[in-house]
Amino acid sequence: MDFRTISPQTTEELLEAIKQNQGKHFRFGAGYTDLIPELEMQMENGLIVINLAKLKDSNFTSIFLSEDGIRIGALTTMTDVLSNKHLQKFPVLIEAVESFASVQIRSVATVGGNLCTASPAGDVSCALVALGAVSEILIANGQIRTVPLTEFFTGVKTTVLKKNELLRSVLIPHQKSAERILSGFIKIGNRNSMEIALASLAYHITTDKNGIITSAGTAVGSVAETIRYTESACEFLLGKNMDQLSEEDKETFADNVLKYANPISDIRASAWYRHQVLWNISKSIL
Amino acid sequence: MNYNIIGKRIPKIDAGDRVSGKSVFGYDIELPGMLHGAILRTKYPSAIIKSIDISKAKKLAGVECVITADNVDTENLNFRKDHPVLKKGEVNCIRDEIAAVAAVSKEIAEKALELIEVTYVERTGIFDPLEALKKDAPQINKFSKGDNGNKNISEAFHYEHGDLAEEKKKSACIITRQYVLPKVTPTCLSPSSITANYSTVDDELTLYSSTQVPFLYQREISQVLKMDPSKIRVIQPIIGGGFGTKLDIHPFEPICALLSIKTGKPVQILFSRKEEFIHSAIRQSMVIDLTTGADKNGKFTFREVKIIKDNGAYTSWGVKTSFVIMQTFSSLYQVPACVYDADAVYTNNVFAGSIRGFGNPQATFALERNIDLMAEELGMDRAEIRLINANFPGEISGQGLEYHSCGHKPALEAVIKHSGYFTRNKKNNQGRYKRGIGLASMLHVGGGAKIYPSDGCGTTLKLDTYGYLTIITGSSEIGQGSETVLAMMAAEELGIDLKKIKVINTDTNVKPWDVGVHASRTSFVAGNSVLGALKKLKEKLSDKAAQLLNTSLEDLVFENGTIRSEKTGNSFKIDKIVRELHFKPPHELCEVSYYYEPSSEFQDKNFKGNVSSCYAFAAQAVEVEVDTLTGKVDVLHVYVGQDVGKVLNPLGLEGQIEGGVVMGLGYALSEEMIFENGYLRNFSFHDYKVPTARDIPEIHFYPIETHEKTGPYGAKGMAEAPLVPTAAAIANAVSNILGVEINSLPITPENVLKAISNKQSDQG
Repeated sequence: MDFRTISPQTTEELLEAIKQNQGKHFRFGAGYTDLIPELEMQMENGLIVINLAKLKDSNFTSIFLSEDGIRIGALTTMTDVLSNKHLQKFPVLIEAVESFASVQIRSVATVGGNLCTASPAGDVSCALVALGAVSEILIANGQIRTVPLTEFFTGVKTTVLKKNELLRSVLIPHQKSAERILSGFIKIGNRNSMEIALASLAYHITTDKNGIITSAGTAVGSVAETIRYTESACEFLLGKNMDQLSEEDKETFADNVLKYANPISDIRASAWYRHQVLWNISKSIL
Repeated sequence: MNYNIIGKRIPKIDAGDRVSGKSVFGYDIELPGMLHGAILRTKYPSAIIKSIDISKAKKLAGVECVITADNVDTENLNFRKDHPVLKKGEVNCIRDEIAAVAAVSKEIAEKALELIEVTYVERTGIFDPLEALKKDAPQINKFSKGDNGNKNISEAFHYEHGDLAEEKKKSACIITRQYVLPKVTPTCLSPSSITANYSTVDDELTLYSSTQVPFLYQREISQVLKMDPSKIRVIQPIIGGGFGTKLDIHPFEPICALLSIKTGKPVQILFSRKEEFIHSAIRQSMVIDLTTGADKNGKFTFREVKIIKDNGAYTSWGVKTSFVIMQTFSSLYQVPACVYDADAVYTNNVFAGSIRGFGNPQATFALERNIDLMAEELGMDRAEIRLINANFPGEISGQGLEYHSCGHKPALEAVIKHSGYFTRNKKNNQGRYKRGIGLASMLHVGGGAKIYPSDGCGTTLKLDTYGYLTIITGSSEIGQGSETVLAMMAAEELGIDLKKIKVINTDTNVKPWDVGVHASRTSFVAGNSVLGALKKLKEKLSDKAAQLLNTSLEDLVFENGTIRSEKTGNSFKIDKIVRELHFKPPHELCEVSYYYEPSSEFQDKNFKGNVSSCYAFAAQAVEVEVDTLTGKVDVLHVYVGQDVGKVLNPLGLEGQIEGGVVMGLGYALSEEMIFENGYLRNFSFHDYKVPTARDIPEIHFYPIETHEKTGPYGAKGMAEAPLVPTAAAIANAVSNILGVEINSLPITPENVLKAISNKQSDQG
């Protein structure tokens, strides 16, 4: 494995590195838990790696509360997410991180890496989509543009990021105050850790004191080209009483989730199973 | 009998080196001037090779040697001598080696491979054994003698005992099912490696090899390379997992030797993890058609078995699994009649190998599933049918296996009791998660297996003038804990501190002969060998001690590093006695040698005979929980009852039990090598799913001590057994809970959900 690395320590150096290498083939590296195995499978000739591991910019490296929500830096590790007190109110996110790989990998893998790898099976990405998070993208000219995560992924391993851009942070907007939260992440796999989801469901649903559903965010992974926000399933729930959902309501919800699933058969599972299990678990959460 | 060391929890004597990183594995070896070897393998699983052009590769700076079948002179490899080291004219599976390079660096060697030009004409491969058996199928292996009734049958086994027709008449219940078992790999943590060092001065070839059968290896390498066997020295570095994969020689080993011979320099070949997945030995897939019967009381009447095994393109020792499979069908539980046929069929798949259990997990799966189905049809309890048919002490099985000790029934009783089988299993099982307990037993050789002209092991002992003992054993340590057990035996017998015992076992130039690590034989065979040698050593010491203490031999006790007279209480330190022997007349060293050959016998041409000195029995009860929405099976508890004869080292024993159960768990639930047209599709730990720490259930172990008269301190072989019944017990549990039939592995969530869905549509 032979590549040149550039290790910017400041945002200025980072932007300079991006600008300088526009004509060349470069990739970003942060936790390296995806990049190294990928390069081991297929080395890319003339590759330059812009190493983000040395970058000292708190916008990238920390999690903090702001007026508009909770901002998670792209270089935040999975372990950082697990131990952050602000994020504990999002069980969907915490459960997604807990289901992610292993303790060792969680301690180096980054939230930004999970998003930018753009795997349809990304656990943490799926949870963030369900939470309605927004990507904050740093452009080489120093400006920031924002894209909702629902629009961030454009295909398997592709995103809206252009060659002169990188993900700086994601913002989870403040949620409406809720009486009750139904939030979680279900990952389907053959074993209990070190698993790539065969199908996954992220959900974060809130109700008022009467049990009326005031907000709903659900997203699915590993059943389409990208992680999908299951909008019509969310809309179906809004305004309904959580405690009075009928069997038929639950099935309609599951049917709506399935509208966003277009799974493939591969060595990990068949399309039939992905369909079936997604419907079963979708119904089961309500 | 009270022992000082035997039966105590002794940590492995090599554990410190392992955990501190001091152990030297094959990967760690580096010799002066060493070259790096790389192998060009075929692009296609089946093709004609029109031409190979190595001229560009040879010209690459840093390349010292390029070999193909055209510039080496070798004999074929492996059990049927049907496997060329380098392939010429055609390739028959995706592992096939076409050329090899030695270069000054790994990178250059790999670059050189890219410069070798091979012209292929791709052929349609045959990947299904049933296709290979068809009349118009081409002969896959041109070295096949076709002496088994079909050009593509590598080995055919036929066995029978009893009167099948008569027993069928007696049967109140007859169950016929087909079982389909996948290919799996043991994923040794240390990938395969070899370093070859040929000396042009004395023509000696030293191989740093992780073989588990060094003396058979030495002999076969000599045949393949047409060398004098004694010119080959095999040194075994620390072996990071064997599990049977290192029973057969694989072509990369003689290839590395050839590169070293051609260059006169040391050459090393290391497998990557991907190569380890694709190119190392695997447990073979098979289809088992099984019909079994029982009379109205549930007593077994007969078994009729037909097995088709995927041999792959070449024939390894793994083909002999038919022999172990036969044993389970002929002799696990009492059965008056058995007719058994197993054919190993050539295909263009990767060839099968020898993995822990050696065919027994597959056989036990099929048999134990059928037993559950018979119980169901007869309206009997699944525990009861097993108990009334269990093997018993004194039984001689239809095949001639002699069970002078037999803990089958106690093992079953232990797991039935401790698992709460009769109480917990009856719980109301409504709702999403359903729980239940499944049972299975197993039989395996426990006192070696006489399949080679000798099944013995040699030992040399050297007690030095400081009172330290060196055990030079023919047996090999592949992580199973044999070094520790052998040292414990010596400490027990001589009454010296375990810390004063060294075990030497890695060099064929030094150690006496042993057949190798297989058949769960090391503690039994090497243990008996060490005990035989210790007896001789003690006689020598006792003679001198009796003289010095002026007493009789019967009066002597070995303890605390001394030999003591019981009568007078006077004693001499052992090292003092050694010095007396050495530095005064008779001027003798305290060294002895001993060779132990087990009392087992060869089976006759009908496979009848007592092939092992004794037999191990085990039963497992497994409690599982099935998520009926996802199909996921969680194993909660595994209860293991196993006849080990006598517990020698509880700590080592528990390690083997737990490791075996985990291996069985992977086989049951998640492991499967997925091949498409001869290509392996899952060659990483991402997609080949071994259990992780979070998948491991509580494992409860109940050793059954039957004090086997032929075993060291009464012990039997035990190491393969714990993996054998696990998958069967899990499949039984899942089938019973859901009211479905799980007749193939692995029991993935998808397969379970499919079974539930099929049942619903059948009912709907």
